[in-house]
Amino acid sequence: MKLYDRIFKPKKYELSNGKAVEERFTRLPLILLLLIVCTVISVHITGFNFEVLGRNGSKFFDILKAMFPPKTSYMPKIWQPLWDTIKMSVLGSFIGAVLAIPAAILASSNIISSKAVLAIQRLFLSLVRTLPTLVCALIATYIFGLGTMAGTFAIAVFTFAYIGKQLFEVIETVDMGPFEAMEALGATKMQAFRSAVFPQVLPTYLSVSLFCLEGNVRYASILGYVGAGGLGLIMNEKIGWREYDSVGMILIVLFITVIAIEGISHVIRKHLS
Amino acid sequence: MNNSIKEAYEKAPKTWILQLLVAFVIACLLAWSSSAVEMSNTNGKGLQVAKNIISGIFHPDTKLLFAAGKSGVAYLLLETLCIAFLGTVVGAVISVPLSFLSASNLMPKPIAIIGRFCIAAIRTIPAFIYGLMFIRVTGPGPFAGLLTMSLCSIGMVSKMFIESIENLDKRILESLDAAGCTTFQKIRYGILPQLFADFMSTLIYRFDMNLRDATVLGLVGAGGIGAPLIFAMSSYRWNEVGAILLGLIILVLIVETISSKIRTKLIRGE
Amino acid sequence: MILFDHVSKVYPNGTVGLDDVNLKIDDGEFVAIIGLSGAGKSTLLRSVNRMHEITDGTLTVNGTNVSQLQGKSLRKFRRGIGMVFQSFNLVSRTTVIKNVLSARVPELPLWRAILGVFSKQDKITALEALDNVGILDKAYMRADQLSGGQQQRVALARTLAQNPKIILADEPVAALDPVTAKQVMEDFVRINKDMGISILLNIHHVELALKYAQRIIGIRAGKIVYDGPSDKVDKSVLDSIYGENAAREEME
Repeated sequence: MKLYDRIFKPKKYELSNGKAVEERFTRLPLILLLLIVCTVISVHITGFNFEVLGRNGSKFFDILKAMFPPKTSYMPKIWQPLWDTIKMSVLGSFIGAVLAIPAAILASSNIISSKAVLAIQRLFLSLVRTLPTLVCALIATYIFGLGTMAGTFAIAVFTFAYIGKQLFEVIETVDMGPFEAMEALGATKMQAFRSAVFPQVLPTYLSVSLFCLEGNVRYASILGYVGAGGLGLIMNEKIGWREYDSVGMILIVLFITVIAIEGISHVIRKHLS
Repeated sequence: MNNSIKEAYEKAPKTWILQLLVAFVIACLLAWSSSAVEMSNTNGKGLQVAKNIISGIFHPDTKLLFAAGKSGVAYLLLETLCIAFLGTVVGAVISVPLSFLSASNLMPKPIAIIGRFCIAAIRTIPAFIYGLMFIRVTGPGPFAGLLTMSLCSIGMVSKMFIESIENLDKRILESLDAAGCTTFQKIRYGILPQLFADFMSTLIYRFDMNLRDATVLGLVGAGGIGAPLIFAMSSYRWNEVGAILLGLIILVLIVETISSKIRTKLIRGE
Repeated sequence: MILFDHVSKVYPNGTVGLDDVNLKIDDGEFVAIIGLSGAGKSTLLRSVNRMHEITDGTLTVNGTNVSQLQGKSLRKFRRGIGMVFQSFNLVSRTTVIKNVLSARVPELPLWRAILGVFSKQDKITALEALDNVGILDKAYMRADQLSGGQQQRVALARTLAQNPKIILADEPVAALDPVTAKQVMEDFVRINKDMGISILLNIHHVELALKYAQRIIGIRAGKIVYDGPSDKVDKSVLDSIYGENAAREEME
């Protein structure tokens, strides 16, 4: 940035009373240039082409059209995978959310004083977070075999990482007065945490967990695609057979389920805050 | 016991009934969903496989990791970055009008509800189905991938955009009004500067997420690092998996650090 | 000169905002309007630049009948009157100077307005306005990095950049701590003296009003109950404005 200022000299404004003000040359050209370069490179590498889009754009709707009208007679076969998907998300979210609590505590600088523990714990959390959920699910299918167990595992890992990060950020911004008061009363760190910090972070924790659950129902449907059970499994199968009207039916069921779960969770979250 | 204390004690809200009820419901839900844990498919090899995977991941295939050319990790990561970047840009272009239409403080209620319904519908369709749809348009490859990413971004991006629009500080418009500004000038100098920082911050965050989610595209052959990764996994070449994952994780960590710095600056100033 | 001639304002729900107000405020005056909340201070102030409509009587500002203005002529009229608000009303996520420059926007040609490119003259006007309120050094900081008092000064500089003849201030110091409030009031006094701009502000701190304003207008239930120099305000005047008990508390 210093170099930038040397190339593009700051402008000087002289006021009528003799004072002078320097205005740094605007960063806008630099930012625009960067964005344009990124766009050009990306267009080149991905082969983005408006012409193709214009020519073949309508083909995008081919599959969508084939989904309508959805095959309602397929409905009875959707129930089981749907319950599987919901079970996977509920159980996975629960396990992940519970495991996230100790992990988050260990990563909070206002509770843990050892710098080494903090650094290791945070690195661990970000590593788990960067691990793509899909990869996690695939690995899980190798270990646990095909089925909902693998999906539950993947969702638990994802939830753990997501809530862990959110939670330790919340814990760090908590009012530490009550915690110190408890410690002064002779409570152990854990006791103090339980009665002074926990009540403060509980609403946020529950709210984040529910939010995660909403997203997980959606995500669980993708995981099935790699063999981790649930709706994705039958979607994969029906796409393979090109029975798009059945896929349409599955998507409608998924849509309603997601809306319903979001609705319930929205009500609970409103209640919490 | 003193009477007034007793009274106060009895008056205490009986939250324990509610708490017990909630605990009971949660316990039922968990019991019901615990049937998802079916160990029937698990065989004794599970542990052995896990061991192989871990050892492979910790001994990445350095040849692949540092290979130049189109099959090297570096190029694949670049391609993934490009897909995520353009996907975010295209997604943003679609999200902006959609979120203005769905903002309940700007639009009449029926339009806002229709807008939200569209967004929810777009969100429901999983990435791999979009991938399949776009492959019909563009053929397999990164072009289909970026279009898929853009549609997948819409749900979350418009949700955040709508939130920013609904949280607009309208008092600024009052003062611009008092200074004699036209409607256009009020939008340009009262609304856009407020939204710009929020929108940029959302987009940068979404770019992060897209980079992480880009592996999904590999499932249907829509470009990026996902396909070689899944291919390596399904043929048990764990050293290659390790190399690709290592590259991806490092890239994501770097991008995340930079983007969270930019976002803090956008939201909180210096 | 601001002239209220039998001005009344009745809200659609029947509440009386102003009740037969007659006032004459000359150029260069420093006037404070005091009264209980809901007495009509804000309505009185905001009717001057027609942020509120009046329902009866005529209001003339520098020879213009305010009620007859519309669209373009109203906007042009408003450019000559600055307005400062209790909540500063700044775009917190842009720089101070951009906030001040937004006062120049109505004068800009369309292309400049769209692109947000300001001329050197406009920038110097904005910087001088900032210098005038003593925060020139903050010009390139983001508005949300400043304290409340500094933000109110930015708002003041923004109105100064309009080159107004009159500044209306709606509870300008209500959101500030006592020390900062005094400093901002002193800014108003200086602007009033040095630049000859009329200042019309409403304020609920009687003490500040008496200390800094030359003229006090007391309003109660939409009626003017006192109009005179600030040094003539005594307990009986305050009683008439605030009611007996309230006034006693204020004086103590």
